[in-house]
Order: sequence, then C-alpha cells, then structure tokens
Amino acid sequence: MGTISLEHSDRLYWLGRYTERVYTTLKALGRLYDKMLDSEHGYAEYLGFFGLTDTYADDHAFFHSFLFDAGNPNSAAYSLERAYDNGIVLREEISTASLSFLQMAKDTLIKAENSGNIRLSLLPLEDILYAFWGCLNEHIYDDEIRNIIYIGKTVERLDLYMRMKYPFSDVEKEFTRLLKNLSRVPRSTPFRYRTKALSVLVETLGTQEDYERGVKEALYNLSRLFEREEAIG
Amino acid sequence: MTQNQFTKAVGNAGEINDLLRRYGVKFGIYKNGVFNEQFFPFDPIPRVITARDFARIEKGLIQRVDALNAFLYDIYHDKNIVKDGIVPDDFIYISKGYLAQCEGITPKNRIYSHISGIDLVQAKDGEWFILEDNLRIPSGASYPLIARELTRIAAPQAFEENAVVDNRDYAQMLKETMEYANCGGIRAILTPGRYNAAYFEHSYLAEHTDSVLVQNDELFVEDNILYHRTYSGGKTRIGVLYRRIADEYLDPLTFLPESLIGIPNLMEAYRSGNVGIINAPGNGVADDKGIYYFVPKMIRYYLSEEPILKNAPTYLPFYEEDMKYVMDNLERLVIKDVAEAGGYGVVFGSELSKERLEEFRNTIIAEPRRFIAQEVIDFLDLPIIDNGETVMRKADLRAFVLSGKTTKVWASGLTRFSRNPDSFVVNSSQGGGFKDTWVLSR
Amino acid sequence: MKRVNFCFSTKLTFDDYVHDHSFALRIIPPQAESQNILSCSLNITPYASVRQTVDAFGNNVTAGYLKDDHRFLDFELKGSAEVDCTKYRTDYMPCYLYPSEYTIPDEALKEFYRDHQGDCNATARDRAAYFSELLSQIIVYQKGVTDTATTAAQAFALKMGVCQDFSHILIALLRMDGIACRYIAGLAFCDGETHSWVEYWTGEHWEGIDPANNCPVSDDYLVISQGRDFRDCAIDRGVMYGNYSRQLQLVRSVLS
Repeated sequence: MGTISLEHSDRLYWLGRYTERVYTTLKALGRLYDKMLDSEHGYAEYLGFFGLTDTYADDHAFFHSFLFDAGNPNSAAYSLERAYDNGIVLREEISTASLSFLQMAKDTLIKAENSGNIRLSLLPLEDILYAFWGCLNEHIYDDEIRNIIYIGKTVERLDLYMRMKYPFSDVEKEFTRLLKNLSRVPRSTPFRYRTKALSVLVETLGTQEDYERGVKEALYNLSRLFEREEAIG
Repeated sequence: MTQNQFTKAVGNAGEINDLLRRYGVKFGIYKNGVFNEQFFPFDPIPRVITARDFARIEKGLIQRVDALNAFLYDIYHDKNIVKDGIVPDDFIYISKGYLAQCEGITPKNRIYSHISGIDLVQAKDGEWFILEDNLRIPSGASYPLIARELTRIAAPQAFEENAVVDNRDYAQMLKETMEYANCGGIRAILTPGRYNAAYFEHSYLAEHTDSVLVQNDELFVEDNILYHRTYSGGKTRIGVLYRRIADEYLDPLTFLPESLIGIPNLMEAYRSGNVGIINAPGNGVADDKGIYYFVPKMIRYYLSEEPILKNAPTYLPFYEEDMKYVMDNLERLVIKDVAEAGGYGVVFGSELSKERLEEFRNTIIAEPRRFIAQEVIDFLDLPIIDNGETVMRKADLRAFVLSGKTTKVWASGLTRFSRNPDSFVVNSSQGGGFKDTWVLSR
Repeated sequence: MKRVNFCFSTKLTFDDYVHDHSFALRIIPPQAESQNILSCSLNITPYASVRQTVDAFGNNVTAGYLKDDHRFLDFELKGSAEVDCTKYRTDYMPCYLYPSEYTIPDEALKEFYRDHQGDCNATARDRAAYFSELLSQIIVYQKGVTDTATTAAQAFALKMGVCQDFSHILIALLRMDGIACRYIAGLAFCDGETHSWVEYWTGEHWEGIDPANNCPVSDDYLVISQGRDFRDCAIDRGVMYGNYSRQLQLVRSVLS
C-alpha cells in the first residue's frame, strides 16, 4: 500500500517497544527467580532499576505483581496489554496471523497465573513471542513498516538493558543495531525529526543519568558516531 | 438433504470457538457506558441452503438490489416513481434517510448500494421472505468468512462429505466491487475507531482487500481530491472509500457540523467524481422500513418483472384500508417503528397488555406514517447446541449482495440466532450468536 | 430591472495559529433568471487553492484547504449584477415542502397556525403576505436574543429575533399550509450585514417575500444562497486544528 499515517507509525513503534518489553521482562524475571533459588539474593535490586520502593509482602507477591498485575506499569501483563492495544489497530499492516499470537500470549499469561509451576507454564509464552516476531517478518513485505517496529523493539531493549545494568558489550550491540535500523529509514523522509517516537528516543538516550560512567562515555561516543553518520549521509 | 435434516454439528463448538478467540473474532459492545469486547459465539451446526433454494434466492436478491439501485438513482434525479404515483411523496421526503444534499449526485456507474445486506427468514413451509434491506453500512460478512476458514481446519471431514460452495471469495468480490467504484487512487476503509462495535470487521476486511484502514484525522480534501496524510509528510490519493460511519457524520461541512469523525469537504470531492464512496450517502431512503413495502412495486416499475422473493405481508397504516386491518388485528401483528434499527422499536401485539394495546392503537392513529405492521411469520427454527444439548432457536439470514460490474450474491451469509428461546429478535447487539451458512453446490 | 454593485467581506481571525483548515463558502451569487451576474471576483487571503462546485440546492460552493499555520482567513467578494424581480426562478425541489431541521413546528407553532389558518383563502402569494403580516404584528425585530442555531420554534417562543428567525417562522407556517418555500441568504439595501428572506413556490415559480420587513422583495435584493433553512445556506463553514477560540468578524456588506 505504501501509505502509513503518523498515527500508525507511532503505533508500529510502540508495538515494537511493548512486545520487546514483555519479552525482556520475562527473561529478566526468570533469571532473577533462578538466582533467588540458591542464595540470599532478593528482588530489591530489580526494584531499584525502575526507582521503585518495596511494597511487596514477599517474593511471591513481587513476582506475581511483575508478571500478572496489569495495574503495575512495569509488569509483563501491562506491557502485553499495551502491545495488544497497539497491535489491534494494525491488523492490515501486520496481519491477522501475527495478531493471533498476541491473543495467544494474553491467554497463556492468564493461564500461567493459576498454574503450579509458573516458570514452566510461562515457557510457551516465550515461544509465542518468537513466533510473533517470525510471523511479522513473514507477513510484512513493506520494509518501512518492519523497520519502524524494529526501531521500537531495539530502543526498548537498549533502554531496559541500560536500566538493568547489562554488560556494556550488550548495550553497545543494541546501539549498533539501532543505528542500522535508523539508517534504513529512507533518506527522503523527515521521519527522524518528526515522529513522537524519535523524539522519545532522543530523550531516552540523552537524559538517563544513572548509567555507569563507562556506559555513559560509550553512549556519548556512539551518539557522536550517529551524528557523524548523519552528517555524512 | 433439507435444512430440517441437517442437525449435525461440524466439529466441536469449543475448539472452533477457541480458534475464533485466537483470531480475535470480536465485536464491541457498550454496557452502562463502558466499552467491552465480546467474542461472537459461534454455533457449529451450519445452516444449509440447497443449490435449488439458493439459485432462487440469488435470482431474487439480484433482482431486488438492481431495483433498489434504480430507485436510488431515480429518487436523487428525476423522481419518476413518485411522479407516477407508485410511492407517495411523504414516504420519501419525511424519511430520515433521504438526504436532500445528495440531490443530483451521480455515483460512478450509477451504483448506490455496492454492498447490500438483505435479511431473510425461512418460514416453516420452506418459503423465504425478505425481512429488511440494509443499504447503508451492513455489517457481518467477516464473521462467516473467518469461521469457514476455521471450521475447514477443525472439521475437514464435514467438507469432504458435503458439497459446500467455498465462501472464502468474499474479500476478492469486495475488492473487485471497490475497484469498480474507484475513481483513481488507493482503496481505503474508514473506521470510526477501535471502539466501534464492528472494528474487527473493519480491520479484517482492510487486511483482506489490501486496503488502508483509516480514521478521519488521517484524511483531508485538497482541490476536491481525497488524500491520506502519511507519516513522512506526504500524501496518497484515495480513489475509493469504503466508509463504516453513518451519512450524517461523513462531512461536517455538508452534514452535522458537530461531527468529529467526518472529513471536511469529502462531499465536494465525491460530487466532483474524484472519489467513490461505498455505499453512497443517502441510501437510507431506500432501506427505510416504510419504503420496504414498496420494493416489490419498484421491481415491477423499474425492471418490468414479477418479484421472485416475497416480502413478509406488510400493512401501512398510512393507507386507510391497511389502517383498518391493523386496528382489527393489532394483537397478532408485529409493529415496527420505521425510525428505529438494530432490533429496537419492534413490538409484538401478542405481548402487549390490554391497556398497552389501546395506548399503542392511539399512537398509530396519531402517527400512521411512523409504523408498519407485519404478519408474524412462523419461522423455521434452527437447531443450536446449548450446553451440550440441541435446542431450536429463531434465526435469520443476512445475505450479502455486491454490486460492481455485475450484481453478485455471496454464496454464504450471516446466520444469526437468538439465545433466548422466546425471542423473535435476532441481533448481535442483543445477545445471540452466529452460524456458518452452507450453500450446497448440488 | 436594476444594476447593482455588491461587495461583501468576511474576516476570520484566531487568537492562536491554526492549520489543516478546510472550508466551504457559499458566497458567490448564483446566475439566475432574476439576477444576471455581470462580474464577480472572490479573493482569499492568505492564498488557498480552491475548487468550485454547485451543491444540491444550486449554491456555488467554494471548497478550500489551508495546510500551513495561519492566524486569519479573509474572504472578499466584489461584483456587479442586473437584478430583475419581475423574472422568476423555477428550480423546484420537493424537499422544500417538508419541515427541515430548523423549521420543525412545535405545539405552539402548530396551534398558532391552526388558530389563523382559516382567515384567508387565496393564492400562495396572498397566503405568504398574510402570514408575514401576522408575524410583523407579534414578532419584534430584536438583535442579540437569538443566534445562528436558533430554531423557528425557539424564536417563536421568544417572540423576538432577527431576519433569520422571521424567515424560519414564516417557512414553518407556509410548509404547514402546504406551500413549498425556501430560505434565502443574500444582500439587501436595508442593512449592512447579510440579509435573509423567504421564497415561496406559486406552483410555477419562486417569488420572494421579506418577512423581517414585511414586504415583497424588489430589485434591491441579491440572492447569494438558498436551501431548506439556514443550515443549507451558511456563508462559510470550516473545520481547523489548533488551540484557538474562533473569532468571526463580518465586515459590512454593500449593495449599491
């Protein structure tokens, strides 16, 4: 069709962000749960990533909230709802087949809440998310559409990795990926400057003050690189 | 095989409903002002229409829709049917569906109703009756379309054993219909947004007709051409707009000034022949419950043919003779308020108390033009599965007739049934579910 | 027959920038049997690309779109015409016989009509003159009590109003009387704004009557637009985006 409205470009971007947030949140909580199995390790650090205070009765309450409580804006359930909200208005861009995975993801999450082994019952959710990404790739033949989703996805990953203090090498990798995505945006479009999505991106990269010093410098250098690319391109 | 003999479920209701759920087959509903999405319950026992029955329905519907299109052209131009005294003036110009602003506009190929949803019921003796015409924005085609896709997966043997005409060509038919109305540009489907009852359908049909799903704020009219505003600051010309919003809201500069979901100057672009609008604005004058009475007369008038399909026996209190009949038989007739839609404003004389009946009698005498009266048709009930048991329920059939290069009837339709055993009203906005509609090829 | 010059301008100003501004003007007088437009020019500032169409009621519609930010929009119409009220227009539409949005009679209007309908048996012209005379006795011309959204029933209840209200009430009465009639927006010598009057169908053609002044129209009346009621005749309608409170300023119209 080759015509994407501003509204839809933002929806595509946020679809990318929220589906990635579900995925990374699940991964991070899984790893945290694993750590907590055999040490005194608690969830305080995780709360710290998001600047939150501990209001949870116990470990169980914490995990329950961050997985299933759609009222907790940092939970998997919340992010999945938002992903679905964005996806539902993008049917003709991303296909009914792709959307069906989001519905399945919602249903799987609800089912897992009442199961005996939550981690085990959440495994299919990861599979479903992989299938969702694969399905998007299969069904979208307009590179522009795919790319906007991927910009959102990468930005989200970068944001969470930095918040969660992932190793610098991981952050750098995602940054490079983001640069690649951005450079795929057709030169002729003022996309980089106009959409809400991109101004959010620039803000995110510019205002995080709680990074480790090394990451900060690296990001500074990377953003310089980005600027140089801009100037050359 | 006749309808009555086919009571076998196709696959397991649970499985198919799970699949429908997975693919998001929903409709929105407002309850106490709160928006909820509901899954549209599917009943696995199909309605079966024999090849012979369908051939007759098909012929009858094509005839009916062709006459309705001729009527719409006539009303918005020469008005010969009124001048010749076939339809009284009052029934045209007092109708809410008549839009004087559309006078003189000739849509491409003179097609006004591109997508017509004609509601039929089958009586116990097998005879089909037309219940009403929907020529504005009839909805519902997407549900049987996706249900068939899924039942063929869930119950392949049913389709091996029965010669069921494949109905999955609807999107292609719709696409061709849209293309025939296209005035040069891309295809677009205009939705009021995701909180509309039929949003699933809007987005599903957009996906399957390669159309852009748009909302009004993405569109603008410049130099009497309709454009889609792209995120990169450009614009794409729209050649045909399948709009899923009501006439009155379509263009705030022509119709309701307070409309927030319309496109300013769309009507000027349309009048100039630069964009096709599906269905044409102003069609409401032809699917008014009061006009329904005249459709058989239209068929004779415009096509010089005898109507193939019957109307339910209808009386217009507007005519003295009919008024007398209605007054004498009120307690066994069904009375419909012509201004209401969606199953509302339908009153069964048999359900009224003596006092209410008298009250109603006076209302009809005071406003005869507002009502039509019909004989209650002895519906052929259809079997549905309710909590594992097969029970009989009222059902209707919405047939979809597409008018493009030729007029075609989709070999399927939306069969809706009422949940409530006592209800004669089958409408998705009042509960109830749907069935697949099989047309047999032999 | 009389030769007249006309001039009409509208200035829209906004207290903040607006953009994506769509508008439809019904401002260019129609060429008709009763008025021969000799010259006519329409200037729009800032420049906007426009297209002309003719709507269902025979009005000239100027449709335009201004994408970029602007704080004002001016329309200026100038021209000259030969007006001849002894010649009549014949563009009939059946909808003029039926109540329209602004002219639906309420109980009070219906009762008023019932009380007075029998007093005169004559031609459409006589009936129109009769009802206009009745109105002039009971409705007071008063600015500021009604606005462009006031219906015939509302104005009749107030027993006050301006030319638009007189027209709407007369239309409601004539239509109850079985006489097709229409609302006219135009320019007249009598005041410095747009004027409104009524045309009724004699069975063969349209004739004009000015209920606000209780007189038949003369060569001093130039028709700009017509329709079932004010809603079909609005000089300008527009939709725009931005944070603003719209201000409409009508600059004097001149017929000379």
